[in-house]
This record gives sequence, structure tokens and C-alpha cells, in this order.
Amino acid sequence: MKGTSLLNKNTRLVVIGATGREASQVVRESEALFPGIILAGVTPGKGGTTIEPNVPIFNTIEEAVAEHGAIDTALIYVPPASVKDAALEAIAAGLKTVFVITEHTPIRDAAFIYRVATENGVRVVGGTSLGCFVPAVGRIAAIGGKAPEGALADGGLVVISKSGGLTVTTAEMLKRRGHGVLMAMGMGGDIIAGTIYSDLMEELQANPDCTGLVMLGEVGGTYEEQAAEAIQAGKFTKPVAAFIGGEFQEEQEGVAFGHAGAVVERGKGKASDKKRLLAAAGPNVRVARYYHDLPDCIEELGVKPNLDNPASREVPAKYATI
Amino acid sequence: MNLYEHEAVSSIYKKYKVPHANFVVATEPNDEVAQFVKDNGGAVVKAMVLVGKRGKAGAVKLVNTPEEAAKAVSDIMGMLVWGEKPVAVMVCEKASIVAELYCAITYSTETRSPVITLSMQGGMDVEDIDPADIQTFPVKAQAEVEPYEIRNMLVKIGFTKQYGEILRQASMAIANVYQAFWGAECRMLEINPLAVVKVSKKDKKTGEMVEALDIRALDAVITLDDDASIPPQKIYGERSAYMREPTQREVDALLIDRDDHRGKAGSYVEPEDLSGDIAMMTFGGGGSAVTIETCYDVGLRPANFTDIGGNPPAEKMYRIGRIILSKPGLKGVLVCGGTASNTRIDVTLGEGLVNAIDDLAKEGKLDRDLIWVVRRGGPEVEKGLKLLAECFERNGIKGKIYDSELPITEAPLILRDLLVEHRGYKPGEQAKEA
Repeated sequence: MKGTSLLNKNTRLVVIGATGREASQVVRESEALFPGIILAGVTPGKGGTTIEPNVPIFNTIEEAVAEHGAIDTALIYVPPASVKDAALEAIAAGLKTVFVITEHTPIRDAAFIYRVATENGVRVVGGTSLGCFVPAVGRIAAIGGKAPEGALADGGLVVISKSGGLTVTTAEMLKRRGHGVLMAMGMGGDIIAGTIYSDLMEELQANPDCTGLVMLGEVGGTYEEQAAEAIQAGKFTKPVAAFIGGEFQEEQEGVAFGHAGAVVERGKGKASDKKRLLAAAGPNVRVARYYHDLPDCIEELGVKPNLDNPASREVPAKYATI
Repeated sequence: MNLYEHEAVSSIYKKYKVPHANFVVATEPNDEVAQFVKDNGGAVVKAMVLVGKRGKAGAVKLVNTPEEAAKAVSDIMGMLVWGEKPVAVMVCEKASIVAELYCAITYSTETRSPVITLSMQGGMDVEDIDPADIQTFPVKAQAEVEPYEIRNMLVKIGFTKQYGEILRQASMAIANVYQAFWGAECRMLEINPLAVVKVSKKDKKTGEMVEALDIRALDAVITLDDDASIPPQKIYGERSAYMREPTQREVDALLIDRDDHRGKAGSYVEPEDLSGDIAMMTFGGGGSAVTIETCYDVGLRPANFTDIGGNPPAEKMYRIGRIILSKPGLKGVLVCGGTASNTRIDVTLGEGLVNAIDDLAKEGKLDRDLIWVVRRGGPEVEKGLKLLAECFERNGIKGKIYDSELPITEAPLILRDLLVEHRGYKPGEQAKEA
């Protein structure tokens, strides 16, 4: 069955901060759409309660894992100041993957979590991750909302995006042109991201279901540059279509707009450099000039649509008063 | 958030024992400054601004007497430093500088850890230092580095060739700088120069005053993490993103999210020069950025930047809608967002924005020459767009409305073409070949 190391048929979740407003809604919605993936929730002090219809809440991750040995992934929804605590608890409980959905994790905590996770062989995704969607399996977190089938269809492309909103928007744009996705993942736009494009390239290269990668990057940091290096080193030879946002911010050094990591610092992290390096990384890469060129880019590299009845390129207005 | 040097020294260097020059802070000539200059036989007067290259702007002055100091304080407080008005001056003791190091600590996305950057060629702009003379050392993400680790770095940059006698002091000072970086939750801490200075010290054996070398941080450029566990604005007050006074619209927008944490609608910034003629109602960090970028690419001139999201209630959307539409000189409006997972389109557009438009029309403040393009997807999108279309009809608004079938970045192209056709809009020079 299709899947990735982040989400496959064996993936089982414990949701940390599960009884919060947003998290409990995600638990209910996700279990209605893809039952059986979330086995437990954790909220200190709420142990013994249940999120209807059937997700039990524990006081600690250790207790949740003792009861449900299949749990291998934590999904963190706690406030920013508690993210470090929750992530370290998940690592200590022996889980192998930790998704941090919380926005505004302090950089210091993110760096500390990344260090401890790496030392323990644990993969962190995020902070500010939207989660991950594998149409053939299910989803982790709110990605796709209540009715994800409109935007996400099964296929072979992997979408990895710093922007959460653009993760789904891109999958939907691809779907309208006949391309389904193997996985769509929001890696988050934080300065220290637990999982970056290049971290997944070797796995995706080896995964026969993956037909190509669609990368949504932006100004700031060096994660796109690291992706270019990995491609140049031959770690990923399948088609790559990339869009890098934020060139307009280059003249405004030090000013962050949007994500915390989207800042040019001391000449580093410019969108124009990222585009140049990616375009030069290999013949399997196309950099989109406009965001909406991404489907053309991936098709130019030989990826064929796998869905029936792709939509027309001419889109009429739903309403027009002009 | 960027700190002024006097804030950085007073609240961070002192706490973490980073060696620095003695100083007083003033906003006008006064007795304290005069006494300080007298006691120290002179001083350096520095403008407190957030821009760099103060020396080149003439905003750092050496003075020898209280009279010279008084004049320097008045002069600097009256000047603009690269367009920025000083908030204060720092009057510091003069240092007898023997060597200038560059020292910076920041987070590297390459190692996803803190890194310490050191060079023996400090005192000049970091971009001007020969890359061969600058080295970056990753350190473990934890509260402390040991001084021995710093000593290893100092040997590698050639510090011990001439200044080995203060290797221990220097390593302890930089270890403290690292602790300050970690403890104060900095995003970046830069000292240029971290100086080797000559000081007079009492010889322990003879009791005589002798000359010795020591280390001093003679500058402080600190950017705090805006997401730090204690928000920086709680300690240092609000600070505008730009080096100008915020506009009334920016101030009004800030208030929207202040007492109501449901969703976010109050991020509203105008371009630094306040230009632009396209009102931007954009949603989500990535969606907003990609839309703005495409606007510039196709020659539209955004009048503002927003980043609305997290399912704000209609009331918030009403307020930001009115603010966005109130900027003078607008020609078009772009309402643009990706496919929302959470944000309700009937509430934000169908209710909040619709009410804002209806009220502006009632008050006679609605500009019917504006051309609108709307592109949005997400929960209850059909209902939301229908309500908005009805609002356009009854108020005589000209525009086109799309759902997520239209790729998000085609919306700016459509708006540009409509503006060119109907209003003779002249796209900016940045427009790329279509």
C-alpha cells in the first residue's frame, strides 16, 4: 500500500493537547474521514475523559503508549511555550515521528528540540506544520479541512511546502490539471524546521510510487539551497518543479513578512539566489516563474496526468459585474 | 525585534556579564553627562538608532571636554542618521583599542543550531571582511558553551598569535556572550567590534598601576526572537516594522487583534514610502506573499500588505476591510486567498467584508470607480462568494469573482488587464514580459 515514512498504513497517532478547541475539532473531523489513525489524546489533568466518539484521553504520553502500543507518532497542538515540553515527552516515550502544528514556537526551543530529536533518531516535522496528507492512507492534522476530496486526489506527486495554505492550494491546482499526489506536507516556515526538502529526498527517490516533487519555498534561510545541493549530488533524480516566493522582499533586509523564517539576513536567503541554484541543480528541475506555472513545469519534465477529465485552463468568473 | 544599543547593554550585557565600557544615556546635555566626561577625561558619544553604519553618518563623536560633549549630544539628537531620528545618545568611556574582532551569534539553517562567527578583522562592515578571514563554528543547541570550546575557536582565527595573554578572558567573555544569546532568546547578537583594549590595572604584587590588555564589547546589535517566551514588546514596547512613524491606518489595524485572539486580521502594513494604488485583502502567510509578489511582477502597485487568517470573526474582517479601503489614491482591490482549511468564507467575505462595503456605501464613502477581483476557496465558499456578488450588484461595484478553480496567482493578472482596459492603468516598470 502507498505511503511514506511520515504517513503509511501503520502510522498511529497520539494528539498532544487534544482537548483544546482546534485540536479536538481536528480529532473529530479526522476520525470521521479516516477512522482508526488517532488512537489516543493527551492533556495533563484530563486523563480518563474521551473525545467523542471514541478517542481516549490520557494524562501522559507514557500512559497512552502503555495502553496503545501501536502509537508511533505524536501530533502536537499545545501553546508555543509548551511545545518543547511536549516534544521532549514524545521523544522520551519512544515515538519515532513528532508533528508540531503550533505556530510561534520560540526559535531557541525549536533548535533544542531538533538537537534532542536528532540525537535520538526521531523525526520532527514543523513547527507551523499544516500536517501531512496521503490520499491513499489518510491525514495527519487539519490539512484539507472538512472536505479534503475537493483538493486532494491520489497520485504520484509529493508536495512539500513551507506555507500551509499553499500546500492544499497547490495540490488542488495540480488536481485540476489531472495530477494526484502521493503526499502533501506542510513543513512550516519557521527558522528551524524539523524536516526539510532534502531530509526526504533519499526516501522519495527510493519510493516507486513517487513520480516527482513539487517544492514551495520562499525567501529566507537555506533549505531550498540545501535541496539544490542534494539534487546536484544526485540524491533525487525524479522531476522537481519549484516555486520560490518572496523576491519582492529582497530589498527589505531584516523585515519579516508572513513566516518567521522569511527574512533576508546579511545577504543570505534571497529568493533570486534560491531560484538560480535550483535551476542549475540538474536537468530534472524546473523553477516556475509564476506560481500557476507549476503544473506546466512538472508536465514539461515528463510527468503525465493520472486523473481523468482535467479541467480547462480557461476559468470563467463565477460572478462578473464588469 | 531590534534593540537599541543602550537597551542591549543595560538589560542584556549587564545581566550576562559581557564586559563593556562604562556609560550614561542622555537625550539632552545635562550635568550627569558633564560629570561623566570630566571623570573619564573624555568620552565617545553615539546616536541610538537601529540603522547601522553610524560612524559613516557622523553619528559617533569623540569628545574631550564637558563642553564638547554637550555640543555633541545636541548635534546628534538634532540629526537624522540615514533617515532615522536618534531616540537617545550613549556617552561611553573612551577605549584604547589594540585590535578589533567581529563576533556574532545566530541560528544557522545549514546546521539547524546556533553558530558563532568570529573574525580578527572586525571594526569594518561585515560584508567588507574577506571571507577567508571569517569563520563560523556550529555549537550545540543548549544553554552554555564551555570557555575551552571558545578557546579552540580563537586559536583557529589566529587570536593567540598576538593576544594569547588574554585568551582566557576573551574565551570567558565570548562564552558569556553565548549565554546572553541563549538566555535572552536572541535571534541574532552581533558585536562589532569586540575589542582588545589597553587598560590600566593595579599590579597585584607591587600595587602600582600597570598597562594590561583586556576585552570589551564596544557595540551591541541584538535582534530578539519575536516568538520568545516573553514577548519582546512586553519588555521594550511596540516598535514599527519600518523606520517611520506608523500611519493612522496601521495603528487602527493593530487594535483589531489586541483584545480578541480569534483569528488574525490586524496585520496591516503600508509600503515604506506609502505608495501604491491596489488595496490588498490577502489571506494566509504564503498565499499573501505569493499574491503580492505576482502583483509586483505584473506591474500592479500594492497599497498595503495584509495577512488575514485563522478564521477571524466577521467583526474583525469588517474593521480591516474598512481600513484597507480607506487609503487615498486606490484604483483597484484584490481579495485573494488560497483554499482555506479553517477560515469560513461566508463569515469573512460574505458577512464581514459585505457589511463593510454596505456601510461605506451608506456613508457615501464607497468609491465606485474601483475595480475588484476576488479569488477564494475554503469552507462555505459558495455561500460567501454569492453574498459578496449580491453586495457588488446592489452597490454598483465593478468586478469579477472566482473560486479556487482559478489558480491563485492568475487573479493579479486579471485585475491588471481589467484596470488597463477600463481605467487606462499604467502597469509599473517591474512588469515582466507576459
